[in-house]
Amino acid sequence: MHAVRWRKVFRDLVSHRFRTVLVVLSIATGVFAVGVVMGGREILVREFDSEYSASVPLNADYFTMPFSDPIVRRAREYPGVEAAMGRHSTSLRYRWAGSDAPRSISVVGIKDYDDITVQMLVPEDVRSWPPRRGEVVLERAALQVGKYEIGDTLEVETSEGKTESLTIIGFAHDINAVPAQFIGSETGYVSFETLPDLGEVKAYNELLVAMSGSDLTQREASLLAEDIQRDVLEANSITVLGSYVPKPGSHFLGDIFKAVSLLLLALGLLSLLLSGFLVVNTVSALMAQQIKQVGIMKAIGGRASQITWMYLGMVAIYGVLAVLVGLPASAWAGTQFIRFAAGILNFRVASYVPPDWVTALEVGVGLVVPLLAAAVPVRLGTRTSVVKAFNDTGVSSASFGHGLVDRMLGLFRGLPRPVALSLRNTFLRKGRLTLTLTTLSLASAVVMSVFSVQASIGQTIDDLDAWWRYDAQIRYERPTNRLGVERVVSSTPGVTGVESWIGANATLDRADGTTAQGFTVYGLPYGTRFVAPELLAGRWLEADDTDAVVVNTDARKAEPSLDIGQRVTLEIGGEKRIVHVVGLIKGQLSGSLIYMDRELLGGMLSEDGVTATLIQTASSDPLQQRKALDAAEARLEEANYRVVSTRTQDELREQIADQLGILVAFLVIMAVLLAAVGVIGLTGTMTINVIESTREIGVMRAIGAQHGSIYQIFITEGLAVGFMAWAIGAAAAYPMSLGLTELLSGAIGMPLSYRFSWVGVGAWFGIIALISVAASVAPAYRASQVSVRDAIAYE
Amino acid sequence: MPQIITPDTAESALLRLTEVVKVYDGGDAPFTALKGINLDIHTGEFVGIIGKSGSGKTTLINMITGIDHPTAGEIIIDGTPVHSLGENDLARWRGRTIGVVFQFFQLLPTLTVLENIVLPMDFCRMWAPRERTERAMDLLEQVELADQANKLPAALSGGQQQRAAIARALANDPPILAADEPTGNLDSKTADAVFGLFERLVEQHKTIIMVTHDNDMANRVRRALHVSDGEIVEERVLRPRHGA
Repeated sequence: MHAVRWRKVFRDLVSHRFRTVLVVLSIATGVFAVGVVMGGREILVREFDSEYSASVPLNADYFTMPFSDPIVRRAREYPGVEAAMGRHSTSLRYRWAGSDAPRSISVVGIKDYDDITVQMLVPEDVRSWPPRRGEVVLERAALQVGKYEIGDTLEVETSEGKTESLTIIGFAHDINAVPAQFIGSETGYVSFETLPDLGEVKAYNELLVAMSGSDLTQREASLLAEDIQRDVLEANSITVLGSYVPKPGSHFLGDIFKAVSLLLLALGLLSLLLSGFLVVNTVSALMAQQIKQVGIMKAIGGRASQITWMYLGMVAIYGVLAVLVGLPASAWAGTQFIRFAAGILNFRVASYVPPDWVTALEVGVGLVVPLLAAAVPVRLGTRTSVVKAFNDTGVSSASFGHGLVDRMLGLFRGLPRPVALSLRNTFLRKGRLTLTLTTLSLASAVVMSVFSVQASIGQTIDDLDAWWRYDAQIRYERPTNRLGVERVVSSTPGVTGVESWIGANATLDRADGTTAQGFTVYGLPYGTRFVAPELLAGRWLEADDTDAVVVNTDARKAEPSLDIGQRVTLEIGGEKRIVHVVGLIKGQLSGSLIYMDRELLGGMLSEDGVTATLIQTASSDPLQQRKALDAAEARLEEANYRVVSTRTQDELREQIADQLGILVAFLVIMAVLLAAVGVIGLTGTMTINVIESTREIGVMRAIGAQHGSIYQIFITEGLAVGFMAWAIGAAAAYPMSLGLTELLSGAIGMPLSYRFSWVGVGAWFGIIALISVAASVAPAYRASQVSVRDAIAYE
Repeated sequence: MPQIITPDTAESALLRLTEVVKVYDGGDAPFTALKGINLDIHTGEFVGIIGKSGSGKTTLINMITGIDHPTAGEIIIDGTPVHSLGENDLARWRGRTIGVVFQFFQLLPTLTVLENIVLPMDFCRMWAPRERTERAMDLLEQVELADQANKLPAALSGGQQQRAAIARALANDPPILAADEPTGNLDSKTADAVFGLFERLVEQHKTIIMVTHDNDMANRVRRALHVSDGEIVEERVLRPRHGA
């Protein structure tokens, strides 16, 4: 019968089911949060890295005039090159039954699908492989923007102005392809035999090169890329139209990914901290509730150590149950979370199994943290003397009324008695109140910060609106006669203003002899009214400028030499020019941009003409704008101007919002999890408060308190805690959201416009009121059911 | 200071309190609950501590059981200086030496009656584990509760719970039984039955110290100590102790 004391432990667990469920849920929430967040982060990073490195990402990408296999062979044999391949890339417009408006597609023609050595392509759901003539395999991210189905037909407008049908035969995955939802253009893979049907030559026009060495630096990659361009392409009379050398090992969504990863890490640590608070609070309350039984056991011979082990055993059982609940729940939610993340970040997941250390951490959070958290309250509880334990009513009557807060509460006169009682009860158990407030305030601060980060993202997009003073843009396949296209577009119904720009790729010669890649130069009229530049430093372009450029923050970040007052050498269209940086404007999530006068840029390019026309319309309705744009496109086609893409600014705003929406989605997950921890914490506290107030409830009922009054007392107490947490959280939300916004700005490489969300503060006030009421209703119901006899006899 | 009152000073006392003082820290004004109590109790005595509410009688029995510590003075029970023991040693000592019976029974609600009785044996490692249930059943038979052994306390009447509590107090066969208002929560018929049980235990050479404010009960003990304002103000020996 040595097991009798353990029987008490088991029976306590079973007979106090509500409490057991509450404690187990509290601990399980911690296990769950840590499992989902830490596990999610680890799986995300592991699977992404694994697929990304297995995809053989390119280190240099050249867009050229047509070339053939011998050039590819030379590239492959070039020292320092790990792999090289040629392919044909072009952008075309197409119509599809699932979309009213024409859409853009990046068509990639591959000669031999068995010889893809760079940017591996993985067929996922294909009727046959590889695609044959007249067939196309879409990159699977297309499914994020449209309900494409195998067998659907794409009516592609060829570069010769004809229409050619391509049948979708399946979907493939290319981790290096920019997902369709981010650029508004799908990627499709076709055979070389299909290219002539599309009006394209059956030859390569893009050379992809992967370089050797896992620790390749940007400088080394740039130098090698220049050598390859000179020795392999230009030496063989292949004109390079543009090139791109990304930062080695850096995926194009790397910044967003880094931001998500940072958020998850922050959330994981917060979850750990909050679940620790929750467990300390719950176990302290449990001991307070059990203190009389501790006294009885000591009175009949139980030693403190024996009783300590009993309660630690009880906590361990809570922990085991919490792990049994939390582990599978976190595995399930983690899988959903990874699926969601993999969907929007467009990568495949081979395994949803978290690393062992995450499972160990979950078990630790479930078993070790509660035991550590319980050690002090259990020890204090079991060391309580028998007489103190017997006299314990949860609260010493002498413990209230002496402190500053208590005296201040006493100053509130004229409150209804139940409200006054609730407010004073709130401050009766100050230690527990502190822990509950810490948990709930932290959760409140995070939730309100999320509102502010979301508002900041909205503000950033609004700022883009302020920058754009046009409604839509049309891009041309090649430089086009400005006056001709402007005449056609401006005569389109609904169009009220037009302006044409020139866009070109540029590289920058650094002082150390290397080249910085990846800049886009826009030539626009210096007095443009189609953008409203908000200058962060310097000035905008002026009439008498001869070499002035204005750069955006992305360009400045990519190349620090692009500083105000600096003169730098740009190479555009094969011509080098020293330009003077006169202004810095905020980036618009469109990459590294350099602005210069249109005439100046036009003079540097061999081919005359503009590459894009911006349109102002009569309507602010996106649908009407799209209509006007489609009409303009149709007129241009009729006039034989080749359009490569059209986009309203509203569509662009949506694409940008989609990208930043990834962050918002993760932030919302973070907020919901923390709010759940806060709710469970508050429910636990309220429940224990009710249990401790059983005698008080009996007295109140004996003197006439009805159900409504009892409800009022405990719900008011819950609301008091909730509103205090709201106030503290709101004060903490400002610095927290500012920090979070800056963290995200740094991670995504773009300054976000900070805006504190008063709407969030107001909304959380309403939400926390509901949460507080919800958390107090069940305990208040229990309180209202206590009979006077039971309450007075409660020992 | 009241004189030590002993019915038989020649015989060595089982329990001796010397100048026991207890002061409670009541904030601005400390409250002296016991003012230098001197008391001897011998084996086989049935002592009633009688007094009004707030007289100090519960504080006095708490000193004897080790549930509370004296501010000053000595308490020697069966040769053990109880006043100098720490909480842990006190628990072990109490489990073996004094069975405590409370007014509100204080059975652990999640254990059956039988398990409540086995628990002190479990804590104090008294009797071989397989003998504990057997002994607990014997005790339940003594208090006429054998048929209720596997019920939870909540299923028992107040009188039955108090008899179960007495059985628990006897679990480790302690020489002393200390009861604080054991009949205070019972009707007169049940209280009478419980008192009868105490009388039978005294006949079995147990020493019983009982706090009560019930005059009828006070008249049935063999030695009555009247406590008022923290002092023993009167002692009456109503009947000689068993075997004296």
